[in-house]
Amino acid sequence: MRKNYELFFILIKIAVQWYSHFPLQSEEVSHFVEKKSCPVLFRVGETGHCSFDPDFCGVHPGHPYPPAGLRGLQLFNVYHSAWFMILMALLAANLVVCSLDRFPMAWKRFRQVSEPDREDLFEKIPSDQVIIKETPLRSETDRLELLLKKKAGRVARRDEAGRSYLYGEKGAYSYFGVYIIHLSVLIIMAGVMIGFLFGFEGYVDIPEGESAAAVALKGGRGVKNLDFAVRCDRFFIDFYENGTPKTYRSDLTFLKAGRAVQSSAVLVNHPVAFGGMRFYQANYGMIPTGDPVMVVTQDDKKIKDVKVAIGMAFDLPEKKAKVQMVRVEEDLMGMGPAVKLSIQSPAGEVQLWVFQAIEQIGQANPGLLEQVPIFNPGLFKPYVFSLVQANNRYYTGLQVAQDPGVPLVAVGAALMMIGFMVVFFCSHRQIWIRLDVKGDKTRISIAGKSNRDAVGLERAIRKWLDAVKLNKESAA
Amino acid sequence: MINTIILSWTTFIYFAAFVFYLVRMVSGKEFWGRLGTVTALIGLFAHTAALILRWITSYQIGIGHAPLSNLYESLIFFAWSIVALYLVIEWRTKNRSLGTFVVPVAFLSMAFASLSPNISSRIQPLIPALQSNWLTTHVITCFLGYAAFTVAFALGLMVLLKGMEHENHARSQRFIRLIPEPGILDELIYQSAVLGFVFLTIGIMTGSIWAHYAWGSYWSWDPKETWSLITWLVYAIMLHARYIRGWRGKRMAVMAIVGFICVLITYLGVNYLPGLHSYQ
Repeated sequence: MRKNYELFFILIKIAVQWYSHFPLQSEEVSHFVEKKSCPVLFRVGETGHCSFDPDFCGVHPGHPYPPAGLRGLQLFNVYHSAWFMILMALLAANLVVCSLDRFPMAWKRFRQVSEPDREDLFEKIPSDQVIIKETPLRSETDRLELLLKKKAGRVARRDEAGRSYLYGEKGAYSYFGVYIIHLSVLIIMAGVMIGFLFGFEGYVDIPEGESAAAVALKGGRGVKNLDFAVRCDRFFIDFYENGTPKTYRSDLTFLKAGRAVQSSAVLVNHPVAFGGMRFYQANYGMIPTGDPVMVVTQDDKKIKDVKVAIGMAFDLPEKKAKVQMVRVEEDLMGMGPAVKLSIQSPAGEVQLWVFQAIEQIGQANPGLLEQVPIFNPGLFKPYVFSLVQANNRYYTGLQVAQDPGVPLVAVGAALMMIGFMVVFFCSHRQIWIRLDVKGDKTRISIAGKSNRDAVGLERAIRKWLDAVKLNKESAA
Repeated sequence: MINTIILSWTTFIYFAAFVFYLVRMVSGKEFWGRLGTVTALIGLFAHTAALILRWITSYQIGIGHAPLSNLYESLIFFAWSIVALYLVIEWRTKNRSLGTFVVPVAFLSMAFASLSPNISSRIQPLIPALQSNWLTTHVITCFLGYAAFTVAFALGLMVLLKGMEHENHARSQRFIRLIPEPGILDELIYQSAVLGFVFLTIGIMTGSIWAHYAWGSYWSWDPKETWSLITWLVYAIMLHARYIRGWRGKRMAVMAIVGFICVLITYLGVNYLPGLHSYQ
């Protein structure tokens, strides 16, 4: 059985190692903590939308997508896979069985108070652990017994003709340390399972000024509706002088039935709790908003910008021209937003289309501007027209988590530390003292035993020898 | 900056200390050992001073934080923990042969930090994720653990070397004879592994608490977390093997070496895998 015990540790290890060779799992929690660059326009959140589409996000750049057969083995989300759970259960069962198997022995050791007259122990003690004293046997025994009672937990005494035995021990509870540790591991595993079964982790992206009442669950497991709404009032980034990010902050307002209940700022390392969930600053990005603006440049210098709207007109005095927007299209022929201008000047009327994505269109269709002059934004020289989306709005990417297993995991961790203290820093220390009459003097011999701390025992024996020699009132 | 200059000098001081310890092992003259100890002490003193200076400087340039925030600073602190722990052990055990095996690891860590072109020695501001009080506790406990494991590893090497003594007992080299008895080494390996195990556990726990506040989950199975768990399991196996199976000597030495390889992967190897912990 003990062999199994080690074997299961090794199996777990192999399982975990296996994962490290396949860092492709869709479990990926990506955070922007290490990412330096700003997201570009239209970039959807790394985490937020990821969970909707595991087929897209599970794969790291440079890794091929795993074939379906391998996916069946659940190697790409190991920690939630059935076989990993089975291994966990086996480990738990193993801990329980091994502990039950060994506990009676520890209990026996704990209960059993050693006989004081263990002659065998004194046979091989070094000569410096024997002291000859002038004091009579009885009074010396009484004195040492008092001392032992002060220092040791359990004391026993046996008097025989011409000799006395004393026994003291402490730290017998140290036999239970290992069970405390095993119990703590089980508690932690239980906490993990509770979190896994009853908790959730999700993401939500909220543009500034908007609110959300649902989060996308991690791993594409659907959407969870909240019974309240979260509004992002403002997202805020601050940078250090060298350009690395210093602060990410979202000012959130929690709304219940449309009424603001709580307003809090969420920062990295400073989550906010609401409705039994915790909200973490996990991501951010920009979305284009606001009205598009027509920008007029001359020799690469911006000379005018005008709000885009049908019928909107403006003048270009230098050419005595009058420009009017005659058509505004959200998406012209699949090439994105475009505005048709009609330009009246002494030279006659010129009409042209201004596309927002003119650069990409030009690259995709070389020679287009020459063939179709009406698409050329620089047709009316010396001016060049362009369409820009004026304002970009931030959205904040929040991670939302609820984990009812956390308290249990914390209790387990605390218990494990207590167990460590008991196992590693406490030991069962036993001291035997034999006093016998040697002529008109008393011979005192000291022997000791410890279940793990040989060095500490040695030191304790030295202290007892000193106490015997010097008639001191204290000893270890 | 002055602190990096002191630190690069410290690298050479540690190298000198290693050479002195080595000369002691070869010549058998305790004088060289004492010189090694004095040199290591001087190195540790300069090292400590440089760490404090670096800390002060970071406040002067307005981004104050403990010097534990990037790969350079962690390597420097790793070396500091190793030397400090070693000197404590030397003082407690009154034996200098361990120095020949431990001090070079500290030297290598310092040299790697100073000489590698990819490692910036600049004091960098803390990115938001690192702005936490748990940073200091987490890093210090982890590296004290790593240092203890390093000592266990060095002791493991000594056990294996000592094991070669009997093969040609007649002209057993002085070097090997100066290594303490296997029983003493075994006890020291055990104690170092326990120390490291306890600190690694505290390190994992403080890291989990931090992750609970920073990443939304106390455990995310990122490569560093996973490897720290593997390392933890390896040392757990090692301690169980000793308690339950009574493993001693060479077997424990091999476990200490295997464990140390896991420590190295946890510390440095996982930087080559994508994850949350990667140093910048």
